[in-house]
Amino acid sequence: MAVDEESDTSPRNSTGGENTENKRNEGRGEEERAFECNICLDTAKDAVISMCGHLFCWPCLHQWLETRPNRQSCPVCKAAISRDKVIPLYGRGGSKEDPREKLPPRPQGQRTEPENTGAFSNFGFDGGFQMSFGIGAFPFGLFASTFNFGDPVIRGHGAHGTNPANLEDERFLSQLFLWVAILFIFWLLVA
Amino acid sequence: MANIAVQRIKRELKEVLNSDEVARCSIHVELVGESFAELKGEIAGPPDTPYEGARFQLEIKIPETYPFNPPKVRFVTKIWHPNVSSVTGAICLDILKHQWAAAMTLRTVLLSLQALLASPEPDDPQDAVVARQCKDKPQIFHLTAQHWANAYAGGPSINTDYENKIRRLKDLGVTEMNARASLSSCDWDLERATEQIFS
Ligand SMILES: [Zn+2]
Ligand SMILES: [Zn+2]
Repeated sequence: MAVDEESDTSPRNSTGGENTENKRNEGRGEEERAFECNICLDTAKDAVISMCGHLFCWPCLHQWLETRPNRQSCPVCKAAISRDKVIPLYGRGGSKEDPREKLPPRPQGQRTEPENTGAFSNFGFDGGFQMSFGIGAFPFGLFASTFNFGDPVIRGHGAHGTNPANLEDERFLSQLFLWVAILFIFWLLVA
Repeated sequence: MANIAVQRIKRELKEVLNSDEVARCSIHVELVGESFAELKGEIAGPPDTPYEGARFQLEIKIPETYPFNPPKVRFVTKIWHPNVSSVTGAICLDILKHQWAAAMTLRTVLLSLQALLASPEPDDPQDAVVARQCKDKPQIFHLTAQHWANAYAGGPSINTDYENKIRRLKDLGVTEMNARASLSSCDWDLERATEQIFS
């Protein structure tokens, strides 16, 4: 038995709401409060947003999901929530650092390419560019694509398992592929 | 104590102390000591309940893993309510257990406890004796809860019939607290209460 959680954790506007909201916001702008993490109540860092629209720091939400691996629900509205279904927010002034290098890694944004206009030259340019890049930076290209490929699979698993172990796995895998790539180039040079 | 827990409690205290519930003395929270690990809460009995006009003290312990795990809350003030132990003050409330969510705050916990006082859930009891009385003899439950609120929490209604029965047991050498507890659990049947105490 409880007060209806949804209405209770959201700002109340029932009785004399406006006045009290103002009092409660003393010293902090309304806009700033709108970007507070719902868990640590501080301005969200490495922000992610759930499908139900609730904002969190990724480290905070990650710890919440780890605390309840079997019943993952939004800390605000208790809607179903999971690591794969949150969206990272990249503000303009935000960190340019690769979030995956942080602990815990933040899930990736899902980015779909815009519709191709079908221009041949466009396609050709892309291909040419990729080819030259591909050869020049071969090991790194392979390194990066392996990293990204393996990611969703390992990540999905990671929501339930322990995190540092997975990072170790990832690091091991990427190192392995890097060595394979170097050996391959060596073989190319020799042959 | 983890840094996030301390930061949260600091922010929550600010939020609670600026809330309109505190302004109209409906809830209150304060720190116990310097550590942020323990707080003292207080809620006013909601209107139109046997607890109206009474104030209840709560012990709030903040776990190391707060806010990922709920605070541990217990009634310090004795209360007659199906979801609170009449002996220890332990509370049966889902949001303090498996229904806890990290976005909940001390303010929402205290408001939920107030809501619990307003709508007891005898089918999910903490105190089986109280719960049975609440279901079978709602009239007596109401009067008993009111009497306990008067005796322990500053509630306004004085029940002279109940007071007299307690005095009769006190004359036999029973402590007031034991007399009240026995009479309450025996639906204020003096004979049954006497039997229960002296058998
Ligand atoms: Zn946070
Ligand atoms: Zn939500």
